Amino acid sequence: MSKPINDLSLEAIQRALSHYAGDAPDARAFAEVTIGTWQQMAAQLMPVIGTGGVNVLFNRSLHLTCIAFPWLTMLGDKRVNTALLASVKARLAGRDTDEAIHASCTLLVTFIEQLKTLIGESLTERLLDPIWVPTSPVTKQENTS
Amino acid sequence: MSKKVIIQRLATGVPGLDEILSGGLPEYSFNLIVGSPGCGKTTLAHQIMFSLATRERPAVFFTVLGEPPLKMLRYQQQFSFFDFNKFNDSIRFVNLSNDFATSNFDQVLARITQEVESSSPALVFVDSFRSVMLEALQQPNGTLSQQQFIQQLGMLMSCWQATTFLIGEYPSTRDLHPVFTVADGLLSLEQNVQRNSMVRKMQVLKMRGQATRPGMHTFRITSDGIEVFPAALIHGDKSNEPTTSGALRGKVRLTTGVPRLDEMLGGGLPSGYSLLVAGPSGSGKTILATAFLAEGVRRGEPGVIVAFEQTPSQSWIRTLDDMVCAGQIGLINTRSLDLSIDEIVLHLVELIHKMKATRVVIDSLSGFELAVAPTFREDFRESLFRMFAVLSGLGVTVLMTSELEDRYIDLRFSPYGSAFLTDAIIVQRYIEVESRLQRVMAVVKVRASVHSTEIRRFEITDDGIVIGDPVLDFEGILGGQPTRTKQSDKID
Repeated sequence: MSKPINDLSLEAIQRALSHYAGDAPDARAFAEVTIGTWQQMAAQLMPVIGTGGVNVLFNRSLHLTCIAFPWLTMLGDKRVNTALLASVKARLAGRDTDEAIHASCTLLVTFIEQLKTLIGESLTERLLDPIWVPTSPVTKQENTS
Repeated sequence: MSKKVIIQRLATGVPGLDEILSGGLPEYSFNLIVGSPGCGKTTLAHQIMFSLATRERPAVFFTVLGEPPLKMLRYQQQFSFFDFNKFNDSIRFVNLSNDFATSNFDQVLARITQEVESSSPALVFVDSFRSVMLEALQQPNGTLSQQQFIQQLGMLMSCWQATTFLIGEYPSTRDLHPVFTVADGLLSLEQNVQRNSMVRKMQVLKMRGQATRPGMHTFRITSDGIEVFPAALIHGDKSNEPTTSGALRGKVRLTTGVPRLDEMLGGGLPSGYSLLVAGPSGSGKTILATAFLAEGVRRGEPGVIVAFEQTPSQSWIRTLDDMVCAGQIGLINTRSLDLSIDEIVLHLVELIHKMKATRVVIDSLSGFELAVAPTFREDFRESLFRMFAVLSGLGVTVLMTSELEDRYIDLRFSPYGSAFLTDAIIVQRYIEVESRLQRVMAVVKVRASVHSTEIRRFEITDDGIVIGDPVLDFEGILGGQPTRTKQSDKID
């Protein structure tokens, strides 16, 4: 049974990520699962709103998240590519676990909220629900793909 | 037994569109929806897609470099037809922006082919086609040309048994463009802004294999999407049928509800006739029309009124309101200034059928002319002709009022030259007698019927119109300055 997106508060996302990250996850595991989950969302969204649309939303979400977590601020090339995602992952993995969890969840929630603002809750749920199915967590293999 | 292929028609789900397409869109056809920005192309495509798509008949909507999909989805979901449950179920969106930006037509075609092969959609939409055309200019030599791309796309979709829609603006050389040759159907949308009104029109320029309704058809975009108002169809000469062909036309007479007026009309108004009541402001045209409807209600003959002007707090208006509230007559009351006559006719015909109405009042032609968008005023007379033809075909009896400036140097019954279109005419006028205004009424014409030629005085009382005796004591009253006849001098 899928988990409705509109229930995805910061706490709910944290629970979901914890579930995906396995037992006693550290900051590194959370960083891994956060970027993996976002990539899944991006893969779901790209056919619909295009790569450009997804990237712009990610950039904006990252920018907003950096207000609370300035250490996530990326300088230089802002294009959403493997290098940028790797940098975000590295920054998350480099913090203590609590802070990494908080920043990870904020980034994903902000991304989802941005999407909701633009295309509405119903469509956001429709598009992202498959990602938030607790019975199919992000596997290690998917995370590294 | 015939072994011809049977082309299925797909009901588009767009009110009025199937009517102008003469039954719907041919299955597996390759269609273009073209028009200027903002005229409703994407809305039309989405409305058709959401209506037609099912799990058994899935749709793929390819978005190209036009409107950003985020915006498109943001706005399109405002329409009631946008069904979230169909999203990623029977409808898939595939964004091709990157493919067009980084690949040539060969690769884009390969990508579309891949998508079509993987999901076997029955409906394919490409928005926007203009982006494809512009992209063609950037294509390197040696790759698939634009013409080849379109032709192969058309072929691919037909072979995959997909009904396809390309959405876009007109290329400037539309008549020469290969896509117009390849396309089976061509729907053209346009919008015209004139003064404070905006009118949208649609035209089926081409639809292979079926006769479509010619001409421009107005449409409106509301929260429910697009509604097309097919231009009223006038049937050609059909043997000996009269131009107006109600089943009971003229066979029975309707009472007007105004004592003595039936007598003046030669025994009532022949059923199926159209009656024009012309007169200056305040002469009692609407009261006569209300009496006509009230009499119908009394006799179990439901009516419909199209009202363009009403002054509240008069007793006869209350009568009208009471009848409407009681569901005894149907009311179309509008003061919109961007109507098309076809839109009014469509609603009127629907209401006539719903009410099973036999009496129709249009009050007034003057208000009607004001209510239609300026762009239609030039064709007002022609549109009236079409409307009369439709109403006559329904067999209803029509009473319409027309405001006339009181002129004493000529005798006119309608500023629209519509008098000849009507079967009967009643004229009302003011005359000055002993420094007082009095009202007079006369029956000018009742087609194929004897009628009174008398000019009679009448008064408007709380009970309605009271027709008096013929004006025998004055002559020259249509000139506005009656003089006593010699006979009345003697009587006095």
